[in-house]
Amino acid sequence: MARWKERLRVFLFPTETDLWLGLLRIGLGLHVLLYALSLRADWNYLFAGPGEGLIGRALPEALLSTESPLVPRLGWIVMLATRTGLSESTALSFAWWVLLFAGGCLVIGIFSRASAILAWFVHLCAAESGGFISYGVDNFMTIGLFYLMLSPLPDRYSLDQRWRRLPSKNPHLLGFFRRVLQVHLCLIYFFGGVAKCLGSGWWDGSNLWRALIRPPFNVIAPEILIRLKYLFPVAGIVICLLEISYPVFIWNRRTRGIWLMCISAMHIAIGLTMGMYLFASIMIVLNFAAFGPGLGLARGEKLVRAIAS
Amino acid sequence: MLRRQRVYLAWFVLHFLLIITISCRDMVWLVAHKLTILPAPFRAAAQKVEPIATGALGDNLSTSNPFRRALLTYLHIAGIDRGYGYFAPNVPAGYKLVFELHYPDGRVEYELPGVNSGAAGLRVATLLDEIGRTRYDPLREYIIKTLAASIWREHPGLKTVRAVFGSLNLPSPAEFERGKRESYDFLYAYDFSLSEEPAKAKNP
Repeated sequence: MARWKERLRVFLFPTETDLWLGLLRIGLGLHVLLYALSLRADWNYLFAGPGEGLIGRALPEALLSTESPLVPRLGWIVMLATRTGLSESTALSFAWWVLLFAGGCLVIGIFSRASAILAWFVHLCAAESGGFISYGVDNFMTIGLFYLMLSPLPDRYSLDQRWRRLPSKNPHLLGFFRRVLQVHLCLIYFFGGVAKCLGSGWWDGSNLWRALIRPPFNVIAPEILIRLKYLFPVAGIVICLLEISYPVFIWNRRTRGIWLMCISAMHIAIGLTMGMYLFASIMIVLNFAAFGPGLGLARGEKLVRAIAS
Repeated sequence: MLRRQRVYLAWFVLHFLLIITISCRDMVWLVAHKLTILPAPFRAAAQKVEPIATGALGDNLSTSNPFRRALLTYLHIAGIDRGYGYFAPNVPAGYKLVFELHYPDGRVEYELPGVNSGAAGLRVATLLDEIGRTRYDPLREYIIKTLAASIWREHPGLKTVRAVFGSLNLPSPAEFERGKRESYDFLYAYDFSLSEEPAKAKNP
């Protein structure tokens, strides 16, 4: 029993550098910027109050209140702003600018912890107030920003660290939060893979075909796709196997690089062929932060240093 | 440090127990509702397990129960309130909503719920899926009515708006080669006017 406890402790609290945290911070910062900029033209229209915008946030926020009144929502920011005499539209624009600012701060690593909290909070508000218009990317952004916010920031590649010369963070704690992200990704792919294996359409390729020709994901004309029809069953099975075996092969040093590349290639393909750029971006960021460092450490460090400088 | 490690360990165990329970609950739901390729004995077992999985997450407790509220708050703020079965077990049918705009002079125009960017367009598709999935008629009508109101604001001179909601039929590769293209099945239609009368709903 004592040996098992020790094994668990060693697994959960390995000594770790903060390279992975630098990757996560910069990656999520860039992703938050991309997210905010991609919704700039529709932000107020999507999250407007009753009687304005597309569907407004009144119903999702009311439904959310029945679940828990403590979950952050844009209504809180609007309420605070209107009390100070600002209009609802100004309050929503302010929230957007705050998100953009927090994303920028995360990229350069200034006020890292506060920026991570701010980005997590404003994004969560938008995701929860969006309700019916939120999808997978919002979930993964919340997950990533939640872990980033709890992790021992700032990392040594941030401007915070250069200016304030803070003592280096506990390597065991850095290792712990990296493990949390790693284990979570393993569960995401494992359950995603099992769920796909339970559908007949992933074995005969019809799901892949349907996903690619279904609006609004029909980026490539079906006339072109039909020429690849013999590849769909193979690709469908490969996706299932890749996801379901992720928790096994990603831990092995020999296969980690291959699995990481294959999973990243899958997400890039989803981004390019289905127009889900944000989804692809967040998954690649999470994967590389979790399992990237250690593969080609020197190259990874050079990249982070180059971005940080 | 050892004491802090114990606190982190406790959080780790609780956090991942929740993630696993939610993922299992979603999986069991799929099996119990005959949405997978698993044979009947699995369905029967899943139907028995489903209440246990939902009960573990406090779904059976009253909405005002503090434990349930605290749990749901944590699930939402950590982003772990749902499972990870994207496009699984099968890719669902898409939906389409078309607004028929009737002007006082008899003119009729057609419009789709629109946004300015592709990123927001994906969100509109999610919204249509939500409308198609819900079995609660008043909720569906409320969302469609709100969408119709957004159209109305852009075309203030309208007399009435008819919202037609349909599901998408996608051809298989073989059907596509035979010339079949995507088609829509009519599901619901709602007529909205400026008066305070409730919408007149039609469905097959």
